[in-house]
Amino acid sequence: MDSSSSSHLPEPNFYDFLRRMRSPASADLVRAIKSFIVSFSLHTIDAENDSRKLQDFLMAMETNIRKHPLWINCTDEERDTAVEGLEKYVMTKLFNRTFASSPGDAKSDMKISKKICLLQQFIKPDHLDVPKVLQNEASLLYAAKELQKINAFKAPREKLLCIMNCCRVINNLLLNVSLSTNHMPAGADDFLPTLIYVIIRANPPQLHSNLKFIQLFRWQSKLVSEVEYYLTNLLSAESFISNIDASSLSMDEIEFKKNMHPAATQVTLSESSCAVESQVCEPNSILESLGETVITRRSPDKGTQLEGNNYPFLDKEAENLSSEDVQSCLGYISKWCPGTRHYLKLFISLI
Amino acid sequence: MATSGSKIKNAKLVLLGDVGTGKSSVVLRFVKGQFVEFQESTIGAAFFSQTLAVNDETVKFEIWDTAGQERYHSLAPMYYRGAAAAVIVYDITNPASFTRAKKWVQELQAQGNSNTVMALAGNKADMLEARKVSTEEAQTYAQENGLFFMETSAKTAINVNDIFYEIAKRLLVQAQPPPNPAGMILTDRSDQRSATSTSCCS
Repeated sequence: MDSSSSSHLPEPNFYDFLRRMRSPASADLVRAIKSFIVSFSLHTIDAENDSRKLQDFLMAMETNIRKHPLWINCTDEERDTAVEGLEKYVMTKLFNRTFASSPGDAKSDMKISKKICLLQQFIKPDHLDVPKVLQNEASLLYAAKELQKINAFKAPREKLLCIMNCCRVINNLLLNVSLSTNHMPAGADDFLPTLIYVIIRANPPQLHSNLKFIQLFRWQSKLVSEVEYYLTNLLSAESFISNIDASSLSMDEIEFKKNMHPAATQVTLSESSCAVESQVCEPNSILESLGETVITRRSPDKGTQLEGNNYPFLDKEAENLSSEDVQSCLGYISKWCPGTRHYLKLFISLI
Repeated sequence: MATSGSKIKNAKLVLLGDVGTGKSSVVLRFVKGQFVEFQESTIGAAFFSQTLAVNDETVKFEIWDTAGQERYHSLAPMYYRGAAAAVIVYDITNPASFTRAKKWVQELQAQGNSNTVMALAGNKADMLEARKVSTEEAQTYAQENGLFFMETSAKTAINVNDIFYEIAKRLLVQAQPPPNPAGMILTDRSDQRSATSTSCCS
């Protein structure tokens, strides 16, 4: 992945977007944005419909921005930055409505997460044709870690960046190995198996919903070329994992069934333990040797990912919390951060 | 960025072929070997882009590599959907890879877009003494199925540029007759969107 590629993701400055929106000259745009967000609450939730509405809106706003006095002498990149800012702003506001909104989404997420959980117990790189030279523990874990960040973001572009970063790590591994050894560069023959292996190692939160969200709500003009290729790889990996059977791993049928039977492994398939298990079964020592304090930092993801949102109180104001919210929030804090009593005190002082 | 007066036409090209046929080596030869001033190319591990000038027009190939292992075969449609061109690669020293190539041709003909330009590439053409698939056999097959055929060698670069040049020429010819006011859209994204979205909603 070349940084000079025309399809690379620009680094838009969200604050520049907000600053321009505060200018009196952009009052018409602000009105359009506000009424667009309000218009969503007037319709019933429908992922396809919502996606079409957002894409049409972004396209219309792109045209508006193009001829708007505030952007009149701007470069194409600056106008792109404005639409990127707009996507982030609107989708952050509409996140709760649009993310994992279809009835089947949570079920699909749970299904694939459970499956990965079982696979983690026995799958070896060789089952997927990951060549020996690519079995570089540090790189693979680094790639997995990039994927696991996906729920820390709400904007489609930022979620997509987690995917791109993961693919970039694998890409670099492949390129470095072909430079330093006799291993012939084998392109997708090496890339896809490695990516699937990384996904299984990572068990990223809400894989299905995240991929669907990016497909539906990422600004379509930017979902092209290299970015589209790597997203397609994630989607095909998801499809491969969902349909995995003995033959797709070249395994003996009986052995596969035995491995995939929950009782055969240490994993108890109660809803929450699966996700926790999936994170815990990584060799933590290696991650720590990379200078990461993984366990403490990632632990809030473990249970909360099953509720559909990693940080359920991230965007809540103290005065908007109901008494149930406070109860459950206190529950989270004491559960995941037992040693941080001063946070609890601070929290209580806020309400 | 392009030379003045010429427009760049984007073309998605999908690469299909059994493991070990050297399909990415063929592409690497093409991508690294070209030098067009002021044009950017992308060399990733599995995605490549390269521009090619044909007369006064320019085609920008976006090359999508696919995993050749049998276990990943069923995923291929996700990659070749909406492709303007497909290069199906086999190894002239390996008859099984030729059988596999024919399978892809059939699949593309059955499911793909009939406008997709298809090329059959018999790679490792430098290894003549180990040849197991004759030129005539492949040539006949290609003719019968409306593909164009070349034997290539990523090692010696024989026919590598030629095959991409020929694809570019065919894409430009194909794109010419119906004047399209919206410009040249070689990758059809609309069908892809609806297809992916239906699969999303269970």
